Amino acid sequence: MASQLIREWAGIQQFPAATQSKLLELLGKLKQENVCTLTILVMGKGGVGKSSTVNSIIGERAVAVSAFQSETPRPVMVSRSRAGFTLNIIDTPGLVEGGYVNDQALDLIKKFLLNKTIDVLLYVDRLDAYRVDNLDKQIVKAITESFGKEIWRRGIVVLSHAQLSPPDGLTYDEFTSRRSEALLKIVRMGARIRKQEIQAAAIPVVLVENSGRCNKNESDEKILPSGTAWIPNLVQTITDVVLSGSKGILVDQKLIEGPNPNNRGKVLIPFILAFQYFFVVKRIQKWIKYDIANESSPSWA
Amino acid sequence: MASIAAPGLALSVHRSHRRLTPATATTTTAASVPSLTIKSKHPTFPSSLNPKPSSSSPRNNFDILGSKKLQNVIKTTAVIGCGLYALSNGVSNAQLSGNGGGGSSGGSGGGGGGGGGGGGRDSFWSKIFSPAAIAGEEESQEWDSHGLPANIVVQLNKLSGFKKYKVSDIMFLDRRRGSTVGTEDSFFEMVSLRPNGVYTKAQLTKELETLATSGMFEKVDLDAKTNPDGTVGVTISFLESTWQSADRFRCINVGLMPQSKPIEMDPDMTEKEKLEYYRSQEKDYRRRIERSRPCLLPPPVQREILQMLREQGAVSARLLQKIRDRVQQWYHENGYACAQVVNFGNLNTKEVVCEVVEGDITQMVVQFQDKLGNVCEGNTQYPVVRRELPRQLRQGQVFNIEAGKQALRNINSLALFSNIEVNPRPDEKNEGGIIVEIKLKELEQKSAEVSTEWSIVPGRGGRPTLASIQPGGTVSFEHRNLKGLNRSILGSVTTSNFLNPQDDLAFKLEYVHPYLDGVYNSRNRTLKASCFNSRKLSPVFTGGPGVDEVPPIWVDRAGLKANITENFTRQSKFTYGLVMEEITTRDESSHISSRGQRVLPSGGISADGPPTTLSETGIDRMAFLQANITRDNTKFINGTIVGERNVFQVDQGLGIGSKFPFFNRHQLTMTRFVQLKQVEEGVGKAPPPVLVLHGHYGGCVGDLPSYDAFTLGGPYSVRGYNMGEIGAARNILELAAELRIPVRNTHVYAFAEHGNDLGSSKDVKGNPTEVYRRMGHGSSYGVGVKLGLVRAEYAVDHNSGTGAIFFRFGERF
Repeated sequence: MASQLIREWAGIQQFPAATQSKLLELLGKLKQENVCTLTILVMGKGGVGKSSTVNSIIGERAVAVSAFQSETPRPVMVSRSRAGFTLNIIDTPGLVEGGYVNDQALDLIKKFLLNKTIDVLLYVDRLDAYRVDNLDKQIVKAITESFGKEIWRRGIVVLSHAQLSPPDGLTYDEFTSRRSEALLKIVRMGARIRKQEIQAAAIPVVLVENSGRCNKNESDEKILPSGTAWIPNLVQTITDVVLSGSKGILVDQKLIEGPNPNNRGKVLIPFILAFQYFFVVKRIQKWIKYDIANESSPSWA
Repeated sequence: MASIAAPGLALSVHRSHRRLTPATATTTTAASVPSLTIKSKHPTFPSSLNPKPSSSSPRNNFDILGSKKLQNVIKTTAVIGCGLYALSNGVSNAQLSGNGGGGSSGGSGGGGGGGGGGGGRDSFWSKIFSPAAIAGEEESQEWDSHGLPANIVVQLNKLSGFKKYKVSDIMFLDRRRGSTVGTEDSFFEMVSLRPNGVYTKAQLTKELETLATSGMFEKVDLDAKTNPDGTVGVTISFLESTWQSADRFRCINVGLMPQSKPIEMDPDMTEKEKLEYYRSQEKDYRRRIERSRPCLLPPPVQREILQMLREQGAVSARLLQKIRDRVQQWYHENGYACAQVVNFGNLNTKEVVCEVVEGDITQMVVQFQDKLGNVCEGNTQYPVVRRELPRQLRQGQVFNIEAGKQALRNINSLALFSNIEVNPRPDEKNEGGIIVEIKLKELEQKSAEVSTEWSIVPGRGGRPTLASIQPGGTVSFEHRNLKGLNRSILGSVTTSNFLNPQDDLAFKLEYVHPYLDGVYNSRNRTLKASCFNSRKLSPVFTGGPGVDEVPPIWVDRAGLKANITENFTRQSKFTYGLVMEEITTRDESSHISSRGQRVLPSGGISADGPPTTLSETGIDRMAFLQANITRDNTKFINGTIVGERNVFQVDQGLGIGSKFPFFNRHQLTMTRFVQLKQVEEGVGKAPPPVLVLHGHYGGCVGDLPSYDAFTLGGPYSVRGYNMGEIGAARNILELAAELRIPVRNTHVYAFAEHGNDLGSSKDVKGNPTEVYRRMGHGSSYGVGVKLGLVRAEYAVDHNSGTGAIFFRFGERF
């Protein structure tokens, strides 16, 4: 799939002029920093709007989307180039099946990503899901275990379905901040980011609304209830993350399989053996000698 | 001078079955009864010749048993009782065959006792064997009437020599006290006459002579009183010997020393000559004491006897008898079955010298017998047997029955002999010496066995039918005791289908080579080389709670193994060796599978589970070193195990094999059985409550194929879970505690256990713990009761919180 022809990013022209100019400005900024390709990995539970988000960013219907069933049985990479800049977005199947993390899907993703560098991870969840549970944590953990903790330095939490009316008694801003805070907490727990590191590795949260009924502003940009145009905002955040100084994650064999536990400590084996002989076997032999010396002999002996 | 008659005590073990079928083998021990009779042949002197002991030279030595004699005469009639011995190692049958008496060494001077007399002398003995002892004297029930007027007292020499007199009763009359003596008196036991026995005059005369020469009496007479019914009542009137009081006691071992020979005293000696004679005697005796060896009698017993002496005042014959009994009692209680007091010397000197023949071993003979019991040349080399014998059975030691039993047990554990007898025999050539005879019957060297089986299953209508017509079974052969050095080759092949054996052929070929350092070397190392195969269900591929059936993986191992075991004690040992094996992992249908299968959430089965082998092909070959050191000082206190057991095992991969496996897999097990209360040891006493603490750590550094991963859960890991239900990990820790309270003749127990993967489940390739949805750690607690070999327990598994009842065989620890 990597060999597939990289098409011209035509979809960008469908964006409103304001968005277009903003995007081009950001791409220019990236090019200035010598970033000519950007690979974005989109992950999340099933049906949260991963594919739709991909389509929204590209600006065309690049991956099939269905409201009721998973249309993404395997990872798909969509590549578009524009003015010497290549944008790769990898859409992945949902990570949850039957109430458990789908290891098989994760394996597929890992194999797909082999020898690719991930610049940005978009972890997608719905804004209108009210609660977080252990499963979310499991997913984050599975991602962390697969690609390492470092991936969260390139991570962005994306909350889809952002156009909603908050429950009673809460303003939209309050609701979004609480929802994102709850999700971030889970992500931090799953990724085992320690409290001291939170400041350094703050994970940005971006709201998106992929629906066609999304409100638009005067320049025809899709906007959130808060009034922000979300596509430029998302791309802006991605750019910020890319330019934040951290490195992209190169997915190689080693990363996929994790550190081979069979190789860990192999060098130490001779020392371990020597330790066992001198400190365990010898000690037990000493005990046996002690036993023999202390053996109560029968009266006749 | 003393002749030891009657067969000695014999210990024997009989193995009725071959070693191949140990489950049904019975070991019987026939401990025949020891009865050593020592009789003297000293000439008796007419009592008129002997001066009264108290008035004779104060520094004289008097033999209590040959009183009124000036010589140091040894004369005792002691019968040694050793009772009934049963070996502890699985003896089902112990025989007691008495042979009382038989010591008819009719003395030249008439000093020897009567034929059957020996048997009835000792109180202990006579109680057990009184029927046997009397038997000789009651050969004929016919008796003659005395033919005299009733109620007259007849002197012994007035009785007719041709008549058989029936003795209606026997009375003892102590002349000093002027009263009759009850049957409980120690003197009473010296007489072999029994009421209602039939005796001739000669027998009665002999009896009187025996009494007179026993040394217990200064004077003894036997009168018969005629009864109207033709029987006679016998009255034995006596005057007990007494000597000066003594305040010292000395016990010496005079075994193997020539008995002092009395120098005939010329009745025509002058006073001066007599004095000279006494002095020389005294000197002789002192020399004898000096030459004698110290005896085994411990100081507390010696003090006890001294106490007896002090309380008594004058030394009387009865007292000496008591001392003799006490000394012999100590010896016999401590297993010195051949020890006996032969003489008391140095009387009238403030010191009592107790001369003991302890039963020194002069020779040890190992004898092989063929099936018919004839002595033959054995195949087994002598040193093989010799090294099993305790030092206490060697030449120069004092024979101890416990050492004999130990020898019996040790030899039995060689499993080379069908019948073993350890038999102390009096040494004819060496007075007071004991020859230990070990009689061995060898087992057949070669044996082969075929056993077949057909499976029967309920068929149509519930009638039993053959599951199939294919025969299954075992073929085995054994060649034992090669070169007489206990080396053996053993082979067996088992299959459930001889027509198509490749399906499940299990084979084993083993060569055992003991005494690696030479049979004379005390180092006990055994070389074992074997060729084996095995098939086991892998507990790594097991589901956690709530997971449906996980498709099983079978682990077949086949290979070669050679190791050396060094035994330090009976239980502690160090084993090290090399293992080369091929491991094949198969699925349910016996196909080689390289990965575990898993059930997908959708219900499908995918074969991309954790890899089963290191090579990921389903077949691994590897060579590794294996060492195991076991320290075990546990012992049984009233049937309950107490002590400590530590086992450390390490498998060191050598980098030889598929994917060059290099690893260090180690495990340490520590188990302590803490006795919570001191209890008295003895048969039938209650065992103490015991707290069992157990810890097991297992870890592996380097290549770890899944079949070598440590699994948690199961009856020998964490009870209450299935095998491997908690997880399979690289490092594990198991902790357990169990409290055992004895109840009647069994015990009840409560336990708590915990197993933890220490977070190392992910370090096993493919993480089988997570793939099969296991927790990686778990605890359980429960209670149980031991019913014979079976443990019935209720265990609650802490992960799911549910309890269940389990029945298990054998011990957890």
